[in-house]
Amino acid sequence: MNDAREAMLGRIRQGLANNRAFLEREALAAPHTPPPFVHPAGDDDLAERFAAELRKLAAHAHLCADHDAARAVLCDILVAAEVRRTLSWALPAIELPGLADDLMRIGVERHDVSIAPTAAERTAHLHELEPATACISGVDALIAESATIVLLSGRGRPRLASLLAPCYIAIARRDQIVRGLGQAIARLQQHAAPDLFADHSSLTFITGPSRTADIEMTLALGVHGPRDVHVIIYG
Amino acid sequence: MATHSIAFHERVDRALDDGSLQTALSRATDRFVTNRANALALVDDFDDLRARGRAIRASALAQLDDVLVRLSERIEARGGQVFWASDGDAARQYIVELARARNVRTIVKSKSMASEEIHLNDALEAAAFTVVETDLGEYIIQLAGETPSHIIAPCIHKTREEISELFQQHLGMPATDDIPTMTRTARTVLRQQFLRADMGISGVNFGVADAGAVVVVENEGNARLTTTAPRIHVAVMGIERVCERLEDLGVLLQLLARSATGQKLSVYTSILSGPRRADEPDGPDEFHLILLDNGRSQIMGGDYAEALLCIRCGACLNACPVYQSIGGHAYGGVYSGPIGAILTPLLQPELRDVHKLPQASSLCGACQSACPVKIAIPDMLLRLRADAVAAGKADAIERIAMAGWSQAMANPALYRAGGKLASLGTRLLAREGRIGWLPPPLDQWTRQRDFPPFAPRSFTELWAERQRRSAGDGQ
Ligand code: SF4
Repeated sequence: MNDAREAMLGRIRQGLANNRAFLEREALAAPHTPPPFVHPAGDDDLAERFAAELRKLAAHAHLCADHDAARAVLCDILVAAEVRRTLSWALPAIELPGLADDLMRIGVERHDVSIAPTAAERTAHLHELEPATACISGVDALIAESATIVLLSGRGRPRLASLLAPCYIAIARRDQIVRGLGQAIARLQQHAAPDLFADHSSLTFITGPSRTADIEMTLALGVHGPRDVHVIIYG
Repeated sequence: MATHSIAFHERVDRALDDGSLQTALSRATDRFVTNRANALALVDDFDDLRARGRAIRASALAQLDDVLVRLSERIEARGGQVFWASDGDAARQYIVELARARNVRTIVKSKSMASEEIHLNDALEAAAFTVVETDLGEYIIQLAGETPSHIIAPCIHKTREEISELFQQHLGMPATDDIPTMTRTARTVLRQQFLRADMGISGVNFGVADAGAVVVVENEGNARLTTTAPRIHVAVMGIERVCERLEDLGVLLQLLARSATGQKLSVYTSILSGPRRADEPDGPDEFHLILLDNGRSQIMGGDYAEALLCIRCGACLNACPVYQSIGGHAYGGVYSGPIGAILTPLLQPELRDVHKLPQASSLCGACQSACPVKIAIPDMLLRLRADAVAAGKADAIERIAMAGWSQAMANPALYRAGGKLASLGTRLLAREGRIGWLPPPLDQWTRQRDFPPFAPRSFTELWAERQRRSAGDGQ
């Protein structure tokens, strides 16, 4: 806390004395609750909807019958992209039984993220992780109408495992899909009540590949984050 | 050259004479407008969403003192540090001292209007730190030694050839104007900076009081890297950028993405709540939130408090015919376009000619219709013009005009009559639809460019008819 705090709060209160009535009136002019979703809902299948929206963003959706099929698809993607090194969530957090054996069989190395406390160690570790060509994670939810992946960071769930490599593969169960952002936030808060952020320093929404249109409004993918995004949905 | 040292009318003239700027601006703003329209068309009831967004923002501002206290206490409880900065000086000093105390050498930055407002980079560079902007557009601007020209697309004033030139010169890129190659070059160069950086500085789209978190929205992934890789994360937030609850984001994020770029959601939304927890494998060890006042509490008490509802989406810029012609640099400040014409005189009063910015509008109302939180921008611009006249800052002719204007505004019948007279008068002077000459002192204007005749029907008339026509179709 610093000296300016009381001074700033004092100025804000002084300012509010003039305009609080206006702001309160505006605050009461409409409800604050978020709609559960914002696009008209048909009786569409949520997994199909997610897949269709994701493809519009130039990313790839794979719908699989069960976890064996999901693992097979994952291996196909890694082999096709000639991936040797991956960064990923800890395998138990991905909840795909048999994954460790599969990765070993196709010769894919998995690196654990574990940032060290000193500056030099931190930089050295980041340099070790950098050559990975694929990231693999589970999800906390998927949002169908925007094709959004929802991730909480936490133990065994590094943020870099959806960020650092040019290819990112997220693995989700069908029952993790909700229709809209409003629903996703409500569900997360229910699961982690009373404090969503007690054990997680970050909540991330990912909607498609990293992109920019900064040069002449021309779309380019993979500028800082992953260019190839795959979501494998099973169950 | 620093554009803000040049007189406003010269900046405008330069912009209007720059053909490639005009092309780039119209291409970019057209694209934004189309994307936004397409995105809105898909939403069940966008106006309802706007109304909720406005109410949510107004509610947070109505109890801003309390909301900021809640936010800061939550963040401190999570091991983060909060610094209350009355002005830019205080914020700059805190960050410079922090960087010194932690032996920082390289600082990576993701886009932050607030840190541009307080010229943070200058202070950090003067203290001998290496500062790297990492948003592609901002990086290009930094290499060129310029300032951003658009809230969402900072370098829309540059052609690919100019950018290629910069990359060849500064990064040793082989000659090419292939955009994917240029993007890859930037990725490779900037990735090394991320791995090496000791400190990451980001802006904040929303502070969420009850969650004790800040929200950073982006498309490239550079803000995620900025807030994850370095051991220290500093977030710079204007004190008005708050909401109360996490669920408010269910409204605000939808409004922001669609209004800014026409996306359903931006590619990356990071909701960050303090430093990494003890058992988390990555993330920053230190988290600092700068609460920046710098004139905002002053605005809160004045006649323009409504401008504090702004969520910086840029939709009003793209909708504005004046912005489309003159671009962001002509406004001279960090915030451009219609909302910039209001905020810059209030937040950066030290800049030259800021009182003239409210003139850079045709008061057509397109900005307010585009605004996701329905800010009454044209109304505020009018009042700012009147303020400038009252303060004796306006030119003589403008004072006379405004005196007449305020009489007319106070008397709607006179206003309509004056408009009709001007409409008639200018049509009499027009040759082939343009007016090449006006009687003095208005010839100052026609010496530079043609003056369009006043429309045969006034804006009020057209607007009233439009309202009648669209009353049925839910516009
Ligand atoms: S004033 Fe409204 S339209 Fe303009 S940037 Fe702010 S929120 Fe967007």
